[in-house]
Amino acid sequence: MTTPLFEAKNLQKYFPVKGGILNRTQAQVKAVDDVSFAINPGETLSIVGESGCGKSTTGRAILRLDDPTDGEILFEGQNLMELSKSDLRQKRKEMQIIFQDPYASLNPRQKVKQILDEAMAIQGVVPKAKRPERIRELMEVVGLRPEQAERYPFQFSGGQRQRIGIARALSVDPKLIVCDEAVSALDVSTQAQVLNLLKKLQKDLDLTYLFISHDLGVVRHISDRVIVMYLGKIVEIADKRDLFDSPRHPYTRALLSAIPIPDPSKTRERIVLQGDVPSPMNPPSGCRFHTRCPFATDICKAEEPELRSTTFMNETHKAACHHIEKIAETEKTSIV
Amino acid sequence: MHIFILRRLLQLIPVLFGVTLVAFLIIQLVPGDVAQVMAGEAASEAQLEQMRENLGLNDPLVVQYGRFLGDLIMFDLGESVRTGQPVMDIIAPRFIITVELALWGMVVAVSVGLFFGILSATYRNTIRDYGTMTLAVVGLSMPNFWLGLLLIYWFSIQLGVLPTSGWGTWQQVIMPAITMGTAGAAVIARMTRSSMLEVIDQDYVRTARAKGVSERFVVYKHAFRNALIPVVTVIGLQFGYFLSGAVLTENVFAINGLGRLVVDAISQRDFPVVQGAVIVLAITFVFVNFLVDIAYRVLNKRIDLN
Amino acid sequence: MASNEQTPVLEVKGLQTSFFTPDGEVKAVDGVDFSVNSNETLGIVGESGSGKSITSLSVMRLIQHPGKIVGGTIELSGEDLLKKSKQQFAKYRGNRLSMIFQEPMTSLNPVFTVGSQIAEAVRIHKKLDKKAAWQEAVNMLKLVGIPAPEDRAKRYPHELSGGMRQRVMIAIALSCDPELLIADEPTTALDVTIQAQILELIKELQEKSGMAVLMITHDLGVIAETADKVVVMYAGEVVEQADVKTLFKRPLHPYTQGLMNAIPRHDIDLDELEMIPGTVPTPQNMPSGCRFAERCPYARDLCVEKHPELATPSNNVDEGITTGQTRCWIYTDEWDGPNPTKGVATNQ
Repeated sequence: MTTPLFEAKNLQKYFPVKGGILNRTQAQVKAVDDVSFAINPGETLSIVGESGCGKSTTGRAILRLDDPTDGEILFEGQNLMELSKSDLRQKRKEMQIIFQDPYASLNPRQKVKQILDEAMAIQGVVPKAKRPERIRELMEVVGLRPEQAERYPFQFSGGQRQRIGIARALSVDPKLIVCDEAVSALDVSTQAQVLNLLKKLQKDLDLTYLFISHDLGVVRHISDRVIVMYLGKIVEIADKRDLFDSPRHPYTRALLSAIPIPDPSKTRERIVLQGDVPSPMNPPSGCRFHTRCPFATDICKAEEPELRSTTFMNETHKAACHHIEKIAETEKTSIV
Repeated sequence: MHIFILRRLLQLIPVLFGVTLVAFLIIQLVPGDVAQVMAGEAASEAQLEQMRENLGLNDPLVVQYGRFLGDLIMFDLGESVRTGQPVMDIIAPRFIITVELALWGMVVAVSVGLFFGILSATYRNTIRDYGTMTLAVVGLSMPNFWLGLLLIYWFSIQLGVLPTSGWGTWQQVIMPAITMGTAGAAVIARMTRSSMLEVIDQDYVRTARAKGVSERFVVYKHAFRNALIPVVTVIGLQFGYFLSGAVLTENVFAINGLGRLVVDAISQRDFPVVQGAVIVLAITFVFVNFLVDIAYRVLNKRIDLN
Repeated sequence: MASNEQTPVLEVKGLQTSFFTPDGEVKAVDGVDFSVNSNETLGIVGESGSGKSITSLSVMRLIQHPGKIVGGTIELSGEDLLKKSKQQFAKYRGNRLSMIFQEPMTSLNPVFTVGSQIAEAVRIHKKLDKKAAWQEAVNMLKLVGIPAPEDRAKRYPHELSGGMRQRVMIAIALSCDPELLIADEPTTALDVTIQAQILELIKELQEKSGMAVLMITHDLGVIAETADKVVVMYAGEVVEQADVKTLFKRPLHPYTQGLMNAIPRHDIDLDELEMIPGTVPTPQNMPSGCRFAERCPYARDLCVEKHPELATPSNNVDEGITTGQTRCWIYTDEWDGPNPTKGVATNQ
């Protein structure tokens, strides 16, 4: 077994809810609640889920952009939670993040070359004399023309800005890149360009991605393994093929069936979930999905299911559901 | 909502402490011997000692502040060193006049300001918009005592239709209210315009149009209700400025308001009166802000009241 | 098609909408034609800058300064909407034709209760009194599947979830039983499970009322599942038009083909996504020939020089295959040689 590049153990991120006359903390929003996973070097691990499931919070917490409430985050075996601010800053060059809206994170008054130069200066990875050369190189790597580095962010289209965001992340030679909804704001044709670029860079530069997205099509295209989150918990984790071809958790199944397929000749049974996602401030007892689950029974209300595998699942495939067997059983009969 | 009001009230306590402390320190911060300053150069040592005793200046500061607060809670602001009258009795009638003046100024500022602000926004980038906004800049830049003098010149001297001074009849109210309200109207008009422009492009305004709501209702109901939210804050601030800035208008129109009282008291070195006036004004200011805060929350449904 | 006999609910011909900016006229929509019949859903698909949203706003006459409809006709059941005065048209808007928007979070007025926002539409068009309008609002909330409608009607928008708000928007839009509903990216801002609920709801309500639906979206998946007919827009023009099955089975225009192959799919594995190189031309540098030519792998001099028309293919289409219309030189007699897109398999 390979040693993971990165590992999160029992990660928690709670946000306090203040209120009352004295503005005391009255409740906690459990945005990420006891989440553990590992990322192997060179792979793309994706986290999918709907808004409020905690996927972006997880991404921010593992980089300590928001300090986790509890848990361990290990990068190459070192616990980042124990690092001082300055040591952490050193470590940041190994782990970069790309956001959904690159425009918001690019200083509009800086030329692209200044943005890239600054990123390198902060981490002190490239000596000043070599930076212009490196900037030219980075521009080419992300598919922009080197002379475009003289322009300002607003002179670029959305897809090009995202390329700049990628160039900035790459400027410090990171090992891990967290892509937080990195292609969600782009049109389909530009999205394809950026996705292909990310794939190519991964191969060429031996990068590891944590890819956070709500778009299961994008996730299938880019991932090796996938985590599905619901209300701050991991409900299913599996290799891509297993997850998309034989999802085990009823939530994953509903999620997959809800996506419209661009093919009118395909008709299929859709599981339409009723109602909205409950508030993470006051999540349902037991299995958090039980309020919307068509298979829920009494045990689901009472006991929180563990992530587990069964005989007919690959051992890397785990789902947090009490009724994996039963659901697999009904599926067989319904197909026949 | 109740919890919100209660919490805001609790937050007022430290503010009021701060305000009273500053007012209390006015006397302490007068350079040199306060008693000497107040009594004048000619006073004898015995007179000075008497004055120190009357003012309680011989006690430690903390004791003095404690006594000061104790008196304040009983609405006792001390006595004037000139006339010996209780400061409260001197201030109260003058304060009422100033509040009246400020309120009339607000009537002018709010009605004129909102009207022109909306007009400007609905006709954005047209001659009406530019005209209104030019007027607003003029109104804002003109010192109000100068405007007051101009008004007196036109309406009292040239036309002879309005009295030059005094307070009480409606004729006497018109010019001071305009003098006072013009700058505020300009500020409110500009704020209303920018706030309306922000709101008019919002999705929900488009939704209102899509429903078939007439353009007039789109502007006055859907857009204005939302645009008002930031304007309310500005209106509240204006009222505070009006109270403290009334002195100029009062002087131009010879109105016996609090502002003139303070000016007179300063020149007579009647510090207890100055102190009292500062406290009354400051507390009013704080209270107005409190009301503005509540109005803001009531108008802005998006803010969770708790 | 039997529906050829009936008067379409909406017929748009030669629609041109421009924005008059300091830099000159920007033709956002440049000669668009389409029609929708009752009980039918027309999908308009395109990426940002294609003009699809401006088209829908034009139909509602919601184009704001400095934009202006500069040409064409928009007929609602045979009546030309562009000839109506503002006052006359206000009686139609929200009544005979209505619209829902992309952002349910911001499309409702934050300072009024959702009930009063529905009741307002009812009062304007049905001339009901306050109480009756409120009752109607509650009924509408029930119709769009909002639980405890009496209570929800008294809530403010921020107290409801995104999915709930979009249901409220639908309630407003349908409160006066319109002949035409325009849905402009109605589910783009919503999560997939909620999207499924909303699309289902629209379909269900359409079945009940027989209204025509104009579904504007960038998502070919949504189109495939909801539309009967499809219009593909690119740079302010219609580049392809067909019924939904034909379009997905045999996309003609290289842009439509590229778009279909660029979508990452959750149901099948793709090695590499097809990329459409470059970006949409800006209105300031609109090519005089085919607007897609500079991104098109098959473009020839002909494409760069001459602007193609939207037409039924007369060349390079196999016998006996039904097709829609497209705006591409390949399918005209002027194209010399075989169809270069022929070997291109789409992901279907």
